[in-house]
Amino acid sequence: MAIVAAVVAALFHFVPGLPTYYVRVIDTVLIYLLLAIGLNMVVGYAGLLDLGFVAFYAIGAYSYAILASGQFGIHLPFGLILIIGGALAGVAGVLLGIPVLRLRGDYLAIVTLGFGEIVRLLMNNLVWMTNGPQGISRIDQPFLFGFALKTPRDFFLLLLPLVLVALMLAWRLECSILGLGWAAIREDQDAARGIGINTTLVKLLAFGLSATLGGFAGVIFAGFQRFVDPVSFGFWESLTIVLIIVIGGVGNLVGVVVGAAVLIIVPELLREYSEYRMLLYGCALVVMILVRPGGIVGRRYNPAWIIQKLGWR
Amino acid sequence: MTGFLIQQLVNALTIGAIYALIALGYTMVYGVLRLINFAHSEMFMVGGHVAFFLLAATASLAGGPIGVLVMFAVFVATFVAVGLLGVGIEAAAYRPLRHASRLAPMLSALGVAIILQNVVMLFVSRRPLPFPPFLPAVSFKVFGAVVTLNQIFIVAFAVALMLALAWFVNTTTLGVKIRAVSENPQTAQLLGININMPISLIFFIGPGLGALAGTLYASYYGIVVFSMGFIVGLKAFIAAILGGIGSIPGAMLGGFMLGLLETFGAGLLPMLTHGLIGSEYRDVFAFSVLVLVLIFRPAGFLGEAVTEEGMVYKRDF
Amino acid sequence: MIRKLLVAVLGGAALAASPAFADIKIGTAGPLSNAEALFGTTWQNGMQLAINEANAAGGINGQKLVLVRQDDQGDPKQGTLLAQKFCDDDSILAVIANFNSGVTIPSSDVYNRCGLPQVTNSSNPKVTAAGYDNLFRPIANDFMQGGAPAAYALQTLGAKTTAIVHDKQAFGEGVATVFRQNFEKGGGKVTSYSGVTATDVDFSAVITQLKTENPDIVYYGGTMPGVGLFLKQLRDLGMKSTFFAADPAFLPDLITTAGPANAAGAIVSFQAPPYDANPKLVKFKGDYKKSFNEEPGPYSAYGYNEAAVIIEAMKRAGSGVTRETIVKELRKTKLDGLMGTVEFDDKGELKSPTLFLYKVKDNDFVLEWPKS
Repeated sequence: MAIVAAVVAALFHFVPGLPTYYVRVIDTVLIYLLLAIGLNMVVGYAGLLDLGFVAFYAIGAYSYAILASGQFGIHLPFGLILIIGGALAGVAGVLLGIPVLRLRGDYLAIVTLGFGEIVRLLMNNLVWMTNGPQGISRIDQPFLFGFALKTPRDFFLLLLPLVLVALMLAWRLECSILGLGWAAIREDQDAARGIGINTTLVKLLAFGLSATLGGFAGVIFAGFQRFVDPVSFGFWESLTIVLIIVIGGVGNLVGVVVGAAVLIIVPELLREYSEYRMLLYGCALVVMILVRPGGIVGRRYNPAWIIQKLGWR
Repeated sequence: MTGFLIQQLVNALTIGAIYALIALGYTMVYGVLRLINFAHSEMFMVGGHVAFFLLAATASLAGGPIGVLVMFAVFVATFVAVGLLGVGIEAAAYRPLRHASRLAPMLSALGVAIILQNVVMLFVSRRPLPFPPFLPAVSFKVFGAVVTLNQIFIVAFAVALMLALAWFVNTTTLGVKIRAVSENPQTAQLLGININMPISLIFFIGPGLGALAGTLYASYYGIVVFSMGFIVGLKAFIAAILGGIGSIPGAMLGGFMLGLLETFGAGLLPMLTHGLIGSEYRDVFAFSVLVLVLIFRPAGFLGEAVTEEGMVYKRDF
Repeated sequence: MIRKLLVAVLGGAALAASPAFADIKIGTAGPLSNAEALFGTTWQNGMQLAINEANAAGGINGQKLVLVRQDDQGDPKQGTLLAQKFCDDDSILAVIANFNSGVTIPSSDVYNRCGLPQVTNSSNPKVTAAGYDNLFRPIANDFMQGGAPAAYALQTLGAKTTAIVHDKQAFGEGVATVFRQNFEKGGGKVTSYSGVTATDVDFSAVITQLKTENPDIVYYGGTMPGVGLFLKQLRDLGMKSTFFAADPAFLPDLITTAGPANAAGAIVSFQAPPYDANPKLVKFKGDYKKSFNEEPGPYSAYGYNEAAVIIEAMKRAGSGVTRETIVKELRKTKLDGLMGTVEFDDKGELKSPTLFLYKVKDNDFVLEWPKS
């Protein structure tokens, strides 16, 4: 306990002192980490490949944009919209889950891909609501408990505790009955049904919970960037989040953390190469997957292993 | 009105033929490896560029009967060149991952796609390159619609290629081996078939067809650019799903179906809804159809009816 | 003895710390690796040309200028990260960013917080809505780009009807909206206002629909290669309406993509006078071709202009140039630049924006309006 607390305290102490660019990069890592923790629930734990996760991210972000800007003149507080955005995204997740209950494997992947694209196209086309391709700009500055969230440092102080809470919650879920249910349907859905697990409920919970997390991440992102447009919510974003999980280590929270760090920081490190950056990124991607197809962090090195190593219990 | 409908039909068939050719590549690879080959869209793009440079090199021979021979030579060369590229990519980026999870080769394909696109952008050209049409701009008036020789050529050539593929896969020994491997690689191996060869062959033919599709596409629209692969690839992939992924006739049908859906969707939706839903909803329409088809008939129109259990081929992770 | 040592040490430290011999860096961020790679790269090339010229002439008080090029992929997320990176780097004294309005708007928040002088190429009117005092736009915004062609169409061409198509992206939709408003205000009728996807290659469905409307003018708000393909298909399907496009179409690729026969008569708006209009432009075109081995891109001249504005402000700031002094000097800019006079109003917008309309004739762009 002491070691973890020390690490967290160190993060809180040192990171805000870093140059703002580094803090901003870390903020970006944390937002993607939130997204990845969510997607990990549905892809890593329950084994349901969702390629349209960005839809929930978009719903969260646009919730904040629409309810806290000049778009309609509504200006609700940040905390309230966090709940609204998360709830909306969660409902969307369940709504997505219901018709696709029968689908598995690649078919599920493709339907979710289609769903993600439909949401993005609707954002682009429903101009009266979302301002279409122009996006919604000058979104209100978020205020939480009276504190203004303006600089990347402020957001870091918000995001770090949130991410830690999310990690703990995800870990508790993984070890809970629900998590076992997820593991069961991941390994063999028919056998799971056979021993009496209500696969419908378990799957819908997976979709709903992961979508809610995605929605939270979206609301925070909108408050962070204060500008949303459909460009930020395309198929490519969904793939990036899937990549984070796979490269980091599927189903493993430690892997997810590593994956988020790697996938956001490596392109930033490559910035010197300006136009060659994406080429190097593609090469790095292929190499990483060939070398560690199971992800950088093996399934064995999950939080349980860390807890064991630190000598708890 | 008839002219309008016929025009849209002709446009739909032409783009549908191109989608069908690309969809064949997706479906063959998926059928045997259960891999969504994201890099396939870039084969299409590379094929267009290869043909561009071959045609530019042989531009002096254009026209007349020699020109026709040269044109077919360019087709063959493009097919072979990109086919070899496909085989190489399979060996380097997919084969090592054959026993890994299902996601790994898909994401490796994604990386390959990024590499191909950036290589072309950085080392070939950022600008769109003007592609010469294969045939003179002769057009016919059919019931008020304008049909060009190019369009007829594209549809005819694509259909011919598809028939050739169908013949190959159904009659020749190699083709039968491919079908065997598609159906069940383990059993095929038990029967003594070395699965590497049919798989390499699939990665030769699929990308080759995609490259030819890229050539036809470039000639039809007059342009080839490094970014043209992504969207067309996604649409062709949808076409493959619509027709039933894994099924070769399905890919052909799916391609034409998507062409019709898109064209009539974009053309008629505004008319039918009095401008409420404009032509920009064309893609929403296409994706919605995809989602509905998958929910109610996941195997697509020509795939075998798939039960829930049949959907999972191997461990995901 | 100690005093001598102290003087030596302090003197040495002063010399070492003196910025007088360090390079002055100007940062720039634009799309370098996505579908707009051509525009971003040629835009930054234009800047490079201006900087090379300034360096050849001795730099800023002996200090060399360096252009730091970065890729934002048209993504606001990357744009803001780069903005913060530039902000943190003290050797960067000004930025030319961004190219896309959707990226400039959020990144301008970051630049404003750290006081970096920002010169932008984005034309959406919303960009200057925040009223940041460090943001300057030395190009005409969409109000001009959409307004002037409408006036020309109504008054000079006597057109009565137009069909408008846009590519559902921020820029294309922006100019199309302005064109529509101005055309209707001037008494014209818009027969249809449709959207296509920017990555579309096949516009036959929309064009077939337009054929039934038979408008005098077809206005396409969007970028290459879409605009070239659209024009080609428009003519191939037999439509004779006059074709209007915005400045991304001002490059030879429009003519090669659409075909010279199809492109003839198309009207394209652009903010610089013809390349042979004055010796400065002739020199620019020649130098660009020599340095980069190709024709200038549609935004190369704009990039050159933007860099020139900053360089001029830096020169006036004198020795010890800082971010604050550059902002102050930019305010007072009165430069006879490559594209006309550059003078800013209190919102950072160009005081007297100019727009030129070119007609495609004989494989080239010929000035159509205003005729000088």
